[in-house]
Amino acid sequence: MKEFTPLPDKPAPNDVVGIIPWLRENLFPTPLNSLVTLAIIAFFATLIPPLFDWLFFSANWSGTTQDACTNKDGACWVFVIAWSKQFFYGSYPVEEIWRINTCLLALIAIIIASFKLHKDLRNKIAIPLFLLLPFLSIILLDGSLIGLEYVATDYWGGFTLNVMLAAASIIVAFPLSFLWALGRRSDMPFIRSVSVILIEFFRGVPVLALFFMGSVMLPLFFPEGTNVDKLLRVWIVLTLFMSGYMAEVFRGGFQAVPNGQYEAADSLGLGFWQKTLLIILPQVIKISMPNILATFVMLFKNTTFLLIIGIFEMLSTTQTALTNSNWLGGHSTEGYLFVAVVFWICCFSMSMISSSIERKLDTSHRN
Amino acid sequence: MSIKHEQSIENNDDIIIIKDLNKWYGDFHVLKDINLRVKKGERIVICGPSGSGKSTITRCINRLEEFQRGSLTVNGVEMIEDVKNIEAIRREVGMVFQHFNLFPHLTILENLTLGPIWVQKKPKKEAEAIAMKYLERVKIPDQAQKFPGQLSGGQQQRVAIARSLCMNPEIMLFDEPTSALDPEMIKEVLDVMVELADEGMTMLCVTHEMGFAKKVADRVIFMDAGEIVEQNTPEEIFNNPQTDRLQLFLSQILDH
Repeated sequence: MKEFTPLPDKPAPNDVVGIIPWLRENLFPTPLNSLVTLAIIAFFATLIPPLFDWLFFSANWSGTTQDACTNKDGACWVFVIAWSKQFFYGSYPVEEIWRINTCLLALIAIIIASFKLHKDLRNKIAIPLFLLLPFLSIILLDGSLIGLEYVATDYWGGFTLNVMLAAASIIVAFPLSFLWALGRRSDMPFIRSVSVILIEFFRGVPVLALFFMGSVMLPLFFPEGTNVDKLLRVWIVLTLFMSGYMAEVFRGGFQAVPNGQYEAADSLGLGFWQKTLLIILPQVIKISMPNILATFVMLFKNTTFLLIIGIFEMLSTTQTALTNSNWLGGHSTEGYLFVAVVFWICCFSMSMISSSIERKLDTSHRN
Repeated sequence: MSIKHEQSIENNDDIIIIKDLNKWYGDFHVLKDINLRVKKGERIVICGPSGSGKSTITRCINRLEEFQRGSLTVNGVEMIEDVKNIEAIRREVGMVFQHFNLFPHLTILENLTLGPIWVQKKPKKEAEAIAMKYLERVKIPDQAQKFPGQLSGGQQQRVAIARSLCMNPEIMLFDEPTSALDPEMIKEVLDVMVELADEGMTMLCVTHEMGFAKKVADRVIFMDAGEIVEQNTPEEIFNNPQTDRLQLFLSQILDH
C-alpha cells in the first residue's frame, strides 16, 4: 500500500508580505485611490502644523492670571492650570483633598491587581474590593462616620463627582438590571409586567427629564421633614436609568445563550438560581461585554448633564470658571477641550480594559 | 408483541414506567398513548423518522418536555408538577445531547465537577477525583484543564457522557449522540457507549446507528407519527419487520 505524506509548507511569496506590497495594495491600488490618498495627506499636512502650533508651541503655559497669556496665537493653558484643582476636586476643602487622592490610588491599585493576581485571589479579594470601593470612597469623602472632619456633599464636585456617581450607579445597576432582565423573561405574569414597566419607563424617558423628576418630584414621595441629600437622589435616578438600559443589554445576552445550555443544566439537576448564576450569567456577561461597556460609557458621559440641575460636576465647574470675572478672556475652547480630553482618556481606558476582559473570557479557541 | 413483554407489565420494579402518555405542542399531537416499561439494566434503542416523537419521549423522561396526559414513574418516583420532585428525578437520570451542550466558559474538569459540587454537595477534592476517574474511563484525562472549544466533537461528546456519569445516574438517556459528529469520530463515542452498556447501565438511546443497536440493544423500539409502531429484539426488528412502515424505514436507512 502507498504511504501518504502531506506536502511540506512553503514560505509565502515576497510580493504579498512587507511594507511596499502593503502600500501598493492598500494606498495606491488604482489611480483614483492614489489621488484620494494624496488628497488626504495634503489635507492633514495643512491642518496639523497650525493645530500643533496652537496647542503646544505657541501656547501659554506659565502664570497664574489670564494676563500671563500674552501670545494670542496660542492656547491659554494657564486658565486650565489655574482652575485644575476645581475641575478635579470641585470645592472640596484643600487640606482634605488627600482623601480623594487616596480613593483614586486605591482604584488604580485594584484595577492593576485584578489583572496581575492569580484567578482565585482576584475573585476572592480584588473583585469584592472593586465593588465596595465606591461606597468606601463615599464614607471616606463624607468623613463623619470614621471620625474625620465632615464634608457635606455640597462641597463635592468636579471630575471626582462624575467618576463617583458613575461608578456607584454602575455597581448597583449591574445586579438590579440583571434581575429586571430575568423578570422580563419570567413565566410569572406579575413579575414580568413589573419588570417590563420599569425597564420601559426608565429607558423611554429622557435622562434630563429623569434628573428633574429626581430633584423636584422625588422629594414629594419621601415622608415630610426628611431631607434626602440631592446627590443621593441623583444617584438613585442614574442607577435606575442605567438599569433600564442594561436590562435590555442583558436580555439580548440571554437570547444568545443556546437553549441546550439550559437543558444541560436542568438535566444535571441544578436548581433555578444555580443554573442562572453558574451557567447562564457568565455566558450572558461574555456575550454582552461590548454592549455593557457602551452603556457604561454612555452613563459616564451623561453625568455631565447634571450641570442642568446645579450639581458641580466637571462641566459645570468649567462653565463657572469661564464666567469668573477674572477670566473673561474667552477661554471656552481651552476649557471644553480639556473636559473632552479628560473624558476621552477615561472612556478609552474603559474600552481597553473591557476588550482585555473580553479576551480573558474568550474560551472558544484558546490553544 | 412478544409474550415476554406481557409478563414484564406485571412487574412493578421496572425502573421506568410510562402509562398512556400523551403530549401536544399546541394543537399538534406529538405523542399518542405511549406505554413503555423499562427494566433495570435494559438497553433500549429508539429509532424512527424525524418528527416521530422519539426525542420527545426521551426528553419527557427527565422533564425537559412536559406532557399533558398519562403518567410517568422513574425509579419509583412519579413525575408530578413540583420542582423538588422534578429535580429528584433529574438526579437519577443522565442525559447526553446531540450537540454535547458542554458549558463553554468552564474547563473540562469544571464541567464535570459542577453537578457533584452544587447538586450533590460533595467536597471539591472528592468531586475532582470522581471527575478524573470518569475522564479516564472515556480516555481523555489529559484534556482536563482545557476548554470545550479546544476539543474535537468526539472528545466533547465523551466529556458530555463523563459529565452525566459523574452524577452516578441510574439511567442514561442518549438523544442522537453521534448525529453531529464527523464520520471518523462516531466510533470513539460508540465505543464508550458499548462499554457502558456492558457494565449494566440502563440505557435509552435515540440513534440511527443500526450496528450499535444490533450489538448492544435488548430491545429496539420503532416509532412513527407519535406512536410506538413496533418493539422487539434487534434480530426480529431487522430481519422480520411486522409492519410495512418499519419495512419501508429499514429499506430507506439500510440501502446506502
